[in-house]
Amino acid sequence: MTDNDIRNKIKEVFVKNFELDENIIQDDKLLFDDLGLDSLDIVDLIVGLQRVFKIDLRKYSEIKSIRTFGDVCNVMNKIINEHKPDEMNKISDGHK
Amino acid sequence: MRRVVITGYGINSSFGFGAGSLQKGLEQNSSGISRVDELLACNGLQCKIAACVGEYNINVIPRLHRRSMGRVAHLGALAALEAVEHCGATPAMITAPRTGCIMSSTMGSASELYATFDTIFTEKTMSSVSGMQFFKCASHTVAMNVAQMLGIRGEVLSPSAACASSMQAIGLGFQLIRGGILDMAFCGGAEEVNSMVVGSFESIFAAAPPARNDNPETASRPFDARRDGLVCGEGAGVIVLESLDSALARSAVIFGEVIGYNTSASGSHISQSDSTAIRDCIDAALRDANISPREIDYVSAHATGTVQGDASEADALRQVFGGKVPVSSLKGGLGHTMGASGAIELAACLMMMRDSVIYPTRNLEQPAEDCSGLNHIRQQTSAAINCFIKNCFAFGGINAVLVCRRFNA
Repeated sequence: MTDNDIRNKIKEVFVKNFELDENIIQDDKLLFDDLGLDSLDIVDLIVGLQRVFKIDLRKYSEIKSIRTFGDVCNVMNKIINEHKPDEMNKISDGHK
Repeated sequence: MRRVVITGYGINSSFGFGAGSLQKGLEQNSSGISRVDELLACNGLQCKIAACVGEYNINVIPRLHRRSMGRVAHLGALAALEAVEHCGATPAMITAPRTGCIMSSTMGSASELYATFDTIFTEKTMSSVSGMQFFKCASHTVAMNVAQMLGIRGEVLSPSAACASSMQAIGLGFQLIRGGILDMAFCGGAEEVNSMVVGSFESIFAAAPPARNDNPETASRPFDARRDGLVCGEGAGVIVLESLDSALARSAVIFGEVIGYNTSASGSHISQSDSTAIRDCIDAALRDANISPREIDYVSAHATGTVQGDASEADALRQVFGGKVPVSSLKGGLGHTMGASGAIELAACLMMMRDSVIYPTRNLEQPAEDCSGLNHIRQQTSAAINCFIKNCFAFGGINAVLVCRRFNA
């Protein structure tokens, strides 16, 4: 799965869960101040990302450091690459 | 003690959204009961009919408030929005510290409870459960969501008493305003139909039997000789209670005055009604209102179509009122909206009082012998109503009766 695949999937989670226009979801957008999320939404963001990427994110402390959409993409990239790169590639292959 | 008046209401039911839909359905003696897909698909459930609310657009509520709502809270919130518009209160009044929100349902959102446990059992992990599920499932989901949506800063309460829930909410609001604790309160209840809810009645043989599935519109038959069980319904009702001083100060339209209330229990059986306890509750409500039985012009019965429940209520009504006061139950067409029934049917009573009409008990073709001796209204009747009572009786032997009259300055 490429970085772009991951980014698009993350963006889909934001659009679906928080009813956001995908055009405003940019790397530098602050989750709280710019995208209008709050702490309860972050819980649902994590649940949504877990569902899509099939990873239990709660054991990764980096997830607590996210502040922008770009942070989410960077953290998820790191976690996915460390966690199960082979399995994620299989998921990506299934989309061909 | 202060006088308490009703300055607005909001309703949704199987007749549609808005008080106008309720009135139209009652005027036409309609039935909102039909075969329901979810029930049809439920294995082991014999009753396949219910009175369900139609489709609605919940996106009128902003995501921030909507995200923590399941269906039962949706219905409550939509009724609350109508009530806000109907009463004409300002945002400042609604968010004042002496404005409360007292709303109930039988059990929170059964469908969201089901979804939560389905996730846990299917995925075998808690980590897939949304952070919003608690707020959707909780027994006070209607109260807390409506309160948040409206910005309520006064008391937020959620008495849970099954089919007497919304009546207890209204009665509690009445007592708090009368006692000077609140100036205004949005009171009522909501309920959603779900296979678990229907199944709970069916398991104790209180639901309409499968033979009724083929003719849903004739299934709910309060007081009738051929009654054989209730039909669940869903919807919501919000009644705006206000101190008379507050209502007069802002020139609010007053739809009625609450003059008495009592809630009490039988202590005798967890599911069966007790006519003595019901009689005592009605008597106590009338004493609280400082009026005699002969001053009541109409009884809005609880009567759900169960054999034992209807007979108990009829017995109590005969003891209190004799056979003259007009009686009808609206559940023949609306089904039993359970936690919402008190509020929805109270709004209907206010409309009857306003229009000097009594809507009949649908499907009451032949009053049962054990329900006889009452002045059953079986077709729409013109009648001046100055004072009425609204009955609600619930599992746990819980009884609640509200006394209302036409407002006179």
